[in-house]
Amino acid sequence: MPRIGEDLTSYLREGMMPTVWCPGCGHGNIFRAIAESFRQLNLDPSRIAVLGGIGCSGRTPFYFNTNAMHTTHGRVLAFATGLKLANPRLTVIVAMGDGDALAIGAGHFVHAARRNIDVTAILYNNSIYGMTGGQEAPSTPLAFRSTTSPFGNIEPAFDTVELAMAAGATYVARTTTFDFDDMPRYISEAILHPGFSVVEILSQCPTYFGRLNQLGDAPELLKYERSQTFLAENTPLLTKAEMVGKRPLGVFRNEIRPEYTKEYAKLCQAHGGTYHA
Amino acid sequence: MPNQFSSPDPLGIRLSGRGGQGIILGGVIIAQAAMYDGLFVVHTQSYGPEARLGSSKSEVVVSHFEISFPEVVNADVFLCLSREAYLKYHRHVSTSAVSIIDDLIATEDSLPNEIFLPLRRTARSLNNEMTANIVGIGALIALAHAAQPVSVEKAIREWVKPQFLDVNLMALEAGLSLIHHKSVRG
Amino acid sequence: MKLVQGNEAAVMGALAGGLDFYAGYPITPATEIMEQLSRILPSRGGVFIQMEDELAALGAVIGAAWGGMRAMTATSGPGFSLMQEHIGYAAMTQTPCVVIDSQRIGPSTGQPTMPAQGDVMQARWGSHGDRAALVLTASSVKDVFDMTRQAFIWAQDYRLPVIVLLDAVLSHMRENVELPPVPGPMTRQNAQIPENQPPFGSHPFQPFSDSTRTIVSGLSHDEDGMTQGSIGHQAEQIIRNQMADLDRDYSQIVQYRRYQLDDAKWAIVAYGITARAARAAVHLLRESGIRVGLLELMTLWPFPEKTVQEMAHVVHGLLIPELNLGQIVLPLKAAVCGLTPVFFMGRADGELFQPEEIAERIVRLDQKDVGVSTLIGRD
Repeated sequence: MPRIGEDLTSYLREGMMPTVWCPGCGHGNIFRAIAESFRQLNLDPSRIAVLGGIGCSGRTPFYFNTNAMHTTHGRVLAFATGLKLANPRLTVIVAMGDGDALAIGAGHFVHAARRNIDVTAILYNNSIYGMTGGQEAPSTPLAFRSTTSPFGNIEPAFDTVELAMAAGATYVARTTTFDFDDMPRYISEAILHPGFSVVEILSQCPTYFGRLNQLGDAPELLKYERSQTFLAENTPLLTKAEMVGKRPLGVFRNEIRPEYTKEYAKLCQAHGGTYHA
Repeated sequence: MPNQFSSPDPLGIRLSGRGGQGIILGGVIIAQAAMYDGLFVVHTQSYGPEARLGSSKSEVVVSHFEISFPEVVNADVFLCLSREAYLKYHRHVSTSAVSIIDDLIATEDSLPNEIFLPLRRTARSLNNEMTANIVGIGALIALAHAAQPVSVEKAIREWVKPQFLDVNLMALEAGLSLIHHKSVRG
Repeated sequence: MKLVQGNEAAVMGALAGGLDFYAGYPITPATEIMEQLSRILPSRGGVFIQMEDELAALGAVIGAAWGGMRAMTATSGPGFSLMQEHIGYAAMTQTPCVVIDSQRIGPSTGQPTMPAQGDVMQARWGSHGDRAALVLTASSVKDVFDMTRQAFIWAQDYRLPVIVLLDAVLSHMRENVELPPVPGPMTRQNAQIPENQPPFGSHPFQPFSDSTRTIVSGLSHDEDGMTQGSIGHQAEQIIRNQMADLDRDYSQIVQYRRYQLDDAKWAIVAYGITARAARAAVHLLRESGIRVGLLELMTLWPFPEKTVQEMAHVVHGLLIPELNLGQIVLPLKAAVCGLTPVFFMGRADGELFQPEEIAERIVRLDQKDVGVSTLIGRD
């Protein structure tokens, strides 16, 4: 895979930089991993559309020199569905936050997965609402603090992987910003996958999540991420105690199921219309 | 009475009954037929949320001129297939209205101009009670000349599903006969 | 000549306007529009999709517009309320699209099968912030066709979400009309974009293509779509220019019908299905010798201020019947500006005004013959 220093600039909209992301934020790492995937796959920037929702992750589209949309909170997959159907030649990448995908936009997330439309959703999960200043998210772990759970969170968190699989996503993977090499690997697989793909990336928010929970700065948070996860492929080697309360990482589903735009093209063909998916 | 009716212009026709009795389709067929006769028509419909058994109303305004107000205030022609609709609408008719009421509707409240006819019973004799709407339309056009029978037949051919076409055409004939044979109660 | 239902005319008008993408969510009394398009669009190679809610429906429509398709959704009150955020997004991103709202009684679920005109202010002001707005309405099946087709043309010309307001009666009403045959599916080539043409501001809409690198955002942005720096003024200017475009083209955009107004002492101002009752009322009143006319509004927003003002100079008073408890009467009064009394009659019970009710009100006004010029809005 390309290493640091290799040229990614043809994918970058440098006029919009520097990014809004705080020092130590994991989102820049994810952004870089997406750019590396574009490059690995040698994608033509004019055939990519990057879409984002609202929140820290939602700013991703601004920094790619592709066609791009920064949409509304939680609804980005609806825009992506319309765009992909109208122009199936586009490789549609969606950057979503945990708020986008699991709270306000949970309805759209499960239905995009159910339809299995060929869109790649990259879920930047930092366990908190960063852009608005550190409020509780549906991904905030039990007992953790935020500005709206000052006494500790009493709501269980969603597991993105289980939700995506239950809803019908056909490629589902999870990694962390600590596991830097896995990010572009999974993102590339997801882009190549003909169907709805979800790559959840656990990301660090030193500004709010780290500070409000006294977990330290970015390096400590990366170590914390590592301590809270294990590689799913290592499961046989691990004791129950080593896995309890931790999230597995890896590719959890990679299967082919009829894809929406292709099915729609068949429907058109069967009724005399011409639609190229 | 049938011969005394001269159609006003615009002519307001109201069909009413329960959901599932083909009230809206009946209105559409009359509107389509009047259109074939070269007239201006407006058809409106109203119904409750239940596709079956809720109340249903369908109105047609027919005129030689462009129609301004699309709904019927006091009907000149009234067709009713259910008791609930009868109680709701039978007094909202013009003074010279032709009111055709299914004779299975029990009432002690009938008005002098109401003509009770065996619409549902006739439809049952055709083994399809769903055609009571068309029996009623047959009677209605025989009495009120809202549309030419040949145009109604053409409209039925256009709007009724092929598998039910024959029985509906029979229902139309039966409805026309109800008047021509003057089997009128009330 | 065909017997055509209002919702069917909306479908035909949309196809005539170039529709090739529909996303929607079922809701009475607009559902027939999506049911029909679910049959028609696949056979034309267009896209039909039923989304998971109305927010998603308009989101998909906006996405499809940037994907190069002419896109529409249709809904009724509750769905229209949900769509407000995306109407604002379409306005901010200058995305051409069409939203049909078949109005029913509200607030909330109201009565799905009964007509109202309660969304006329929401159509203008429902989304937060200021924007240029183009809202059309219709009073006949033929109008529904014409206005829906027109909505597509203007959506493209002015880069706006254009809203077409119908109501439960009009949507389900059938009339015999002569409509042009539906054109076949269109193949659109992307126009050559002049070098360095900015994607926003007063430039033609250019969907995503191989030669664009457009960044579309609901954030305040300049003509290049850039959101950085102090762009507040530039963002405001884009909106102001859009408003100015509508103002410049007032005589084309603001459509209305004048009916027996030339010698009128009283004017009825009405729109949508209510204009039908008003026209019948004019007939009744003219028969009894009262000089009354009708101004039927077909474009609600921009509000036809100039037209109303001209009329206000010459009549003794205006009466506006609406199927709401007082909405368009507000801009009407503002436009009349005290030149003549404005009288309002409203209802929100799901029934139409009958011609006799409107006529009776004018008769009462005529009998008093205003020693009430100081009483604005009362009688």
